[in-house]
Amino acid sequence: MNESRAPRLVETVLRCYPARWRRRHGEEAAELAALLLRDGTPAGSIAGSYLAGAAREWLTPRPGRRLSTAACALLVAAGSLGVSAGLLPSTAPARAAVTSQHHGPAHCRPGSPEPGPGVSPALAHLRVISWETGHGRSC
Amino acid sequence: MSGPNDRAGQDVLRRVGEASVLILISLADGPKHGYALIQDIKEIAGVELGPGTLYGALDRLERLGMIEPLPADDRRHPYRITVPGAAALRVHLESLERVSAAGRLRLQLGGI
Repeated sequence: MNESRAPRLVETVLRCYPARWRRRHGEEAAELAALLLRDGTPAGSIAGSYLAGAAREWLTPRPGRRLSTAACALLVAAGSLGVSAGLLPSTAPARAAVTSQHHGPAHCRPGSPEPGPGVSPALAHLRVISWETGHGRSC
Repeated sequence: MSGPNDRAGQDVLRRVGEASVLILISLADGPKHGYALIQDIKEIAGVELGPGTLYGALDRLERLGMIEPLPADDRRHPYRITVPGAAALRVHLESLERVSAAGRLRLQLGGI
């Protein structure tokens, strides 16, 4: 790795640590990395070790950080749900094309986005999800 | 010698991980800072401790009261082993010696 890029890479990775950790160890960690680089330790190995350390630091429960950890877990869960929901409409036409030969009940098909009378769009979306999770079984 | 169920003689280092034990062994002969610890551990155990692993283990040992930081020397923070840390290390090493002796004996008995 380029000599000027290696310290920058380590510096970037050190920013992944919580602020409390950086206040305490930040300067020393940067100096230690510089010494290890001088000894010939690959920059990627140093950065990888610091990255794993940063992940551990965030994931280790500490008093006073329970709320933020719980908030992070909720955000991740919400994010993954959002991604799944976002993917469903995009994959639905493809699935509909594949399943068009399958003569199941019309309201089970993901390709029929029109909600029936008295069904709100949100419920129609839920129906699509239930079809996805049911893998085409009768709904 | 106290037994393994005696609280005073309990091997509290059993679950802290190899890095923490190596750090305590390295600090047993005097205070050291991060870079010196990495160099020393490489020399005594042939293990290259990553800097991220090092700081994680140092924080854990400090929380457990087994080591304490000394006033910073420039930007480097030396650490020293505490009295409870030294006692815990002694118990752990005795436990390792017992296991090691049992292993050697069984290899002998098994004739492998």
